[in-house]
Amino acid sequence: MNWLDWWMHALGIVIVVGPFLLLAGLGLPPLLSVKLSERVVSRSVQAVTSLGLLAGLALLGLMLATGERQIPIVLAHWVEIPNYHMLLKIEFDRLSVPFVILTFLLCGTISAFSAKYMHREGGFNRFHLLYSLFLTGMIVTSVSGTIETLFAGWELVGLSSALLVAFYQERPAPVRNGLHVWVVYRVSDAALLLASVWLHHLRGHGNFDAFLGATPWPEGETILGAADAFGVGLLLLAAAIGKSALVPTSGWLPRAMEGPTPSSAVFYGALSVHLGAFLLLRVSPLLDQSPLLSVLVVLVGLTTAVFAALFTRVQTDIKCALSFASLTQVGLIVAEIGLGLRYLALIHILGHGCVRTLQFVRAPTLLLDHRRLEDALGTRLGVQYAGTAEQAAVSFRSRFYRWAMQRGYLDAFLIERCVRPLLAIFVCCDRWERRWTDWLAGSDSRSTEHLPRHAGTADDFT
Amino acid sequence: MTESAASSPDTDRRESLRRLIYQAAELLPAQGPITAFAFLNPLQALEHIPFDDGVLKGLRLFGCQPYLTEDRYREKFVRGRIEAVDVIAELKQDLGPRGDELIAGLSTRFELRQAMLLYPLRTGPSEELQWFIAETDALRRMRAEAPTAIRKLFLDETQHWAMRDLRNGHHRLDDPSQRARQILLQNLFGDLPGRFGAASIEVWNERTWEAFALQALWRMSRHGAQHGDERVQPQPLARRHRDWLLEATGQDADALVHEVLIRYCAAYADQGFADWALPNRELGFYQAFLRLFAAHGQAPGDWARPLIGEAQRLLQAGTQPMDCLLAELDELGVTEEEQSEFLSATLLALRGWAGLIWQMEVRSDRVPLPANAGAIVEFLAVRLLLERLALRSIAHARLDFTAPLAELRSALQQQLAPPSGTSVTQRAFLIFQLAQVLGWSVPRLLALSRHDWNLLITEIEAFTGLERRRIFQKGFEHHYRQSALDALAIQAKQPASRVDRPRFQATFCIDTREESFRRHLEEIAPQCETFGAAGFFSVPMYYRGTADADYSTLCPIVVRPQHWVTDEVVLSFEEQHQQRARTRKALGTASHQVHRRSRTIAGGAVLTAGLGVLASVPLVARVLFPRLTARVRKGLRRFVEPPPVSRLHLERIADPPGPELEHVGFNATERANMAERLLRDIGLTTKFARLVIFFGHGSSCLNNPHKACYDCGACTGAAGGPNARALAAFLNEAGVRTELARRGLVIPAETYFLGGLHNTGDDTLTYYDLDLLPGTHRGDFEFAANSLNAACERNAHERCRRFQSAPLNISLAGALKHVEERTEDLAQTRPEFGNCTNAMGFVGRRSRIRGLYLDRRCFMHSYDPSADDLEATILGRILGAVVPVCSGINLLYYFSYVDSPGWGAGTKLPHNVTSLLGVMDGPASDLRSGLPWQGVEIHEPMRLLLVIESRPEALRAIMARSTVVAQILKNGWMQLALLDPDSNALLHYVNDEFVPYLPEKRTLPQAPSSIDWYRGWRDHLPFAQIGSAASEGVSS
Repeated sequence: MNWLDWWMHALGIVIVVGPFLLLAGLGLPPLLSVKLSERVVSRSVQAVTSLGLLAGLALLGLMLATGERQIPIVLAHWVEIPNYHMLLKIEFDRLSVPFVILTFLLCGTISAFSAKYMHREGGFNRFHLLYSLFLTGMIVTSVSGTIETLFAGWELVGLSSALLVAFYQERPAPVRNGLHVWVVYRVSDAALLLASVWLHHLRGHGNFDAFLGATPWPEGETILGAADAFGVGLLLLAAAIGKSALVPTSGWLPRAMEGPTPSSAVFYGALSVHLGAFLLLRVSPLLDQSPLLSVLVVLVGLTTAVFAALFTRVQTDIKCALSFASLTQVGLIVAEIGLGLRYLALIHILGHGCVRTLQFVRAPTLLLDHRRLEDALGTRLGVQYAGTAEQAAVSFRSRFYRWAMQRGYLDAFLIERCVRPLLAIFVCCDRWERRWTDWLAGSDSRSTEHLPRHAGTADDFT
Repeated sequence: MTESAASSPDTDRRESLRRLIYQAAELLPAQGPITAFAFLNPLQALEHIPFDDGVLKGLRLFGCQPYLTEDRYREKFVRGRIEAVDVIAELKQDLGPRGDELIAGLSTRFELRQAMLLYPLRTGPSEELQWFIAETDALRRMRAEAPTAIRKLFLDETQHWAMRDLRNGHHRLDDPSQRARQILLQNLFGDLPGRFGAASIEVWNERTWEAFALQALWRMSRHGAQHGDERVQPQPLARRHRDWLLEATGQDADALVHEVLIRYCAAYADQGFADWALPNRELGFYQAFLRLFAAHGQAPGDWARPLIGEAQRLLQAGTQPMDCLLAELDELGVTEEEQSEFLSATLLALRGWAGLIWQMEVRSDRVPLPANAGAIVEFLAVRLLLERLALRSIAHARLDFTAPLAELRSALQQQLAPPSGTSVTQRAFLIFQLAQVLGWSVPRLLALSRHDWNLLITEIEAFTGLERRRIFQKGFEHHYRQSALDALAIQAKQPASRVDRPRFQATFCIDTREESFRRHLEEIAPQCETFGAAGFFSVPMYYRGTADADYSTLCPIVVRPQHWVTDEVVLSFEEQHQQRARTRKALGTASHQVHRRSRTIAGGAVLTAGLGVLASVPLVARVLFPRLTARVRKGLRRFVEPPPVSRLHLERIADPPGPELEHVGFNATERANMAERLLRDIGLTTKFARLVIFFGHGSSCLNNPHKACYDCGACTGAAGGPNARALAAFLNEAGVRTELARRGLVIPAETYFLGGLHNTGDDTLTYYDLDLLPGTHRGDFEFAANSLNAACERNAHERCRRFQSAPLNISLAGALKHVEERTEDLAQTRPEFGNCTNAMGFVGRRSRIRGLYLDRRCFMHSYDPSADDLEATILGRILGAVVPVCSGINLLYYFSYVDSPGWGAGTKLPHNVTSLLGVMDGPASDLRSGLPWQGVEIHEPMRLLLVIESRPEALRAIMARSTVVAQILKNGWMQLALLDPDSNALLHYVNDEFVPYLPEKRTLPQAPSSIDWYRGWRDHLPFAQIGSAASEGVSS
């Protein structure tokens, strides 16, 4: 190994290890009842993100200079038995390096933002801990060289997202919406897990370079047959749909706006929402193998883009409007991937992430902007939308407006077509189980269910 | 004929219902668009009843806390913000002669309540208490708070009793009552000595005795607690069906209703944010709703399936909103008697949105797109329609309830157990805790009869948590009031005289933020004189600046201006003005398009894929280098700003006043009237300086939907600069001066007036119309400007002590930089603290409090009692504005602090601007009114103490004239004290009487300058006399 290789490996290690150290540094002290000061917390996040950003840029520079297009680093073997192994392996290539840089850039900027924005807020440390968990997840996902490594990062991102949506846990709405996000994520996780199991079943391992071809991204060629590629690809598409809020799961995206503004910005404006697209980019050789799959991807992407663009038109609040605007572009990006325009999709992701983060961060300034805009234009903007009577091909318009306002009835569809049947099955199982346990016990087997919730209240004297 | 006769009872019913709804709507938050922030008491509708009753009613109606929690008052104890003497004094005052009554022969009522206040009482569910008794050392160690003497008495008495009575038994067993007592003793305590080793009882050590005494006490308390009457708490007021159902099933019908209603309300209220407007909005709230949901499509949820059919039915039948509402009320079985409460509760369930729609209806002048007449009735009709469907669905799914909904409440009432009263364990635990601090040993408690026990328990339970918190609040206010009145009594000893031959005079807003500014200015330039006046300077107007699209309202929220004023660029700059306006328009259109297109498919794609990465530059720059970025932006903006020389259009050409060119401005009489009124109000009628400056104020900050709440409260959340500018222009006008001289108010020819603006965010000053300043006054202006600039620096420095992120050792220049950066930082949620910490107000001559350190907590309105007539006409009109405005500000801070998520807007961080009118938490929630937590964080919630330099007769006369002032003062929504203009005696207004206040302190701490007094401290500071310089100015 010459010194250049050594440097590139070292930089790669820095990129991956930094977030983990940060996570440990922020996560362990509270377990030992040590309270970190705001300063220490925000400084450590900024230090790690700046270091990571520099390492990423340096790595990019070295890769461009040397023409090296793929740097795999094997960190550890998790499971190794004949014909079957699980590998902790990371890989730097034209896809992962830009993603790493974007992640560090946005996470770093937003952490500087939240150091002030979250100042003196209850849960400052919790926020930053979850934030660093998210950072770790993003980095692991971006640089993963095997599907099992990717799954690990993917899970961390999901976990931190759901917990940050429910950041204000003393109110019911954030918790309810956090749960909603979590459930959708779990379903998409399950799809990814199944895809991973399928790959391991087929080849004994889930290394990207083995089943997507050894040529660096994006030119790889899969060794899977068309049918397998379609099957695995379909599962991966399902995973991407959940993670990127594509149709029909789009309903969770506005619900995720419960957290503090900076987390909404970086998660749903920029990084987390692009993760599904990233996954599709990563496995794009599968799409080449299966035209049917490509067509499906394009369809899902375009539908999402059109739906979201229509939803965003009726949104009356800035965060929901931005979240659907975000989704519009994510849909387009997915369609681009389906069409094989991979570099375009990558650039689109990078640009979109930056624009949306800026817009989200500035969201609270809407009223001021609006006022300035009106002053510049010399007229009140609101009034011109007043008289809509003449446009009223009423019934059709109402119908269309309501469709958009109810977000295409997508949530209702999911609840009625997916959740309810599933629940019915479980309720049925529960009934059988109860019958069985009652019979075994010879009496009511779940007497605790009938206990009152709470005998008294905390302050009976008020 | 017959038809109208038949419909008349129906019409009556409708009318009475409409009245009830309008009454209930008065309770709603009076917050219109958030860009015009209304500082009003959230309980304004209840100001006709006393404060303490009002907040309790508020608790019942709104479910929001009336006072801080006991724990938070106790924290204030620890920090010395309340002392025991304060609480004791207020408790004595509250109890009066009732305090000396002996309760069950143990302690007086006063002692009992005092113990309950001073020593924390714990309670909890019975299970938790049992756990506490069993698992902690509650039965081994006495409470640490127990005073030593009481502790010794308690232990000794128990020891004597155990050795004599318990061990030896009783001799006269023939007496049946004694025998019963003996049996009781045996039952209760028979085994107790044995548990500690009865044989060695003589040599038990102190610890054993302590444990024994506590065990005995616990058994005794439990025994006694059984004798209390069962007291079931009364059911809350007519509860809504939803409350019953929530209790029975745990499922909230409101959650379902609100999901639809919030989205619809936002669409209806939208002022043009969404690209597509709500179809049929012009038909009104109700019609648009029906048409929207009558269209084919899916229902918003399973529960709302029948909604489409219902909407179609109502549309076809042409049912009017009021009839729909009546039908829904009948359907729900709401009787005539409970209608009022039911309607209030229903309206208040989504009070932010309902309040906004109500405001859009009644103050249609404040929004570009108002609500239709009767929108609030329509809101209720829609709400009840949705509510019925939600209730029906939950009742059916969860309870299998299919009978008419009218029967739902009675059915659930029978089914649900009534709320249980206090359990024996809970009562016993309270007695157990109190006995330790009051020295009720077991032998004393044994003497209690059944009746005594009941009495004791009743007495303890009568002093509820709410009552205790009420007394704590009074004690808290007492603490500040005593120190404030003491300070005034001492400071007022200095002679009340105007500054002789002042170098310049400066008038600021009444605002608490200007207190420090005045003080610093007087320290820097002792020869200057300052005044305070309401920041619209008695010039209420609609104002349009040179680059404004429309008029904004510059006057208190309660006033509707009658005049319009525009600012116009002078003719010589007209060409440049037009050109820059065109540039601004072009840039504005471009940025509008970019923002709008970025949300579409194609536009967004081009923008993000093509140029997106470039967005990282402003992103990083604005977050990491806010000050630098602001500089660059300001520099660039200079090229498009309107030219600097402009004139207010103040002289009206044609009657009547209106927004069009000829009708803009005031006529000569109006100008003279306004000028005279303000000068007389602040008592500036003689001893004019050569230069008199009026400063309005405003605040600049970024990324803050609540910006308006930092602006001038007397201008409804706008900057009051134009008002000051207009007033100065009036006063410089020769015609006005002649007219004023005719009315006996002579302004010397060499006096020149100047208008200005104080930016309370970054502490900068702007002066208007400097180009008109006569050359003769140049030197005066330079002197004043130098002093004022130095005051800006010091003011910023004093403010910085409150900002955690500014180091305590910050330099003067560093402080100015720090506050500047705060206003330019996207991430800054506390650009300033506004009127936070306000606690008192002073109406009187500045010289009475000049040189007194008031810690930016005092409103100040100048008023010269010696110039007022017997009826106190001037004071009357000052108080007519000062009392409602200051109490509105003070009480909004009070409530927003006491229950931030309830009365206030909660934390800012998840706020989401909606409909261009307000903020929600996250993607959908009730509209948040009130102040955000970040804006009230350092506040001390107490009713404003208004000190007026006047006499009781004057105040009585004013209260007789103005019901608003009388209500607020008599019902205690504001505290009042009077400072006698001549004798300097202080009177405290309590229970409609003026009681002489006897100062407790004779001296005040002194400091050479403000900075010496506050340096190094973040917390609230006590009163102090600052410097000899400030007072010298008066006496010299």
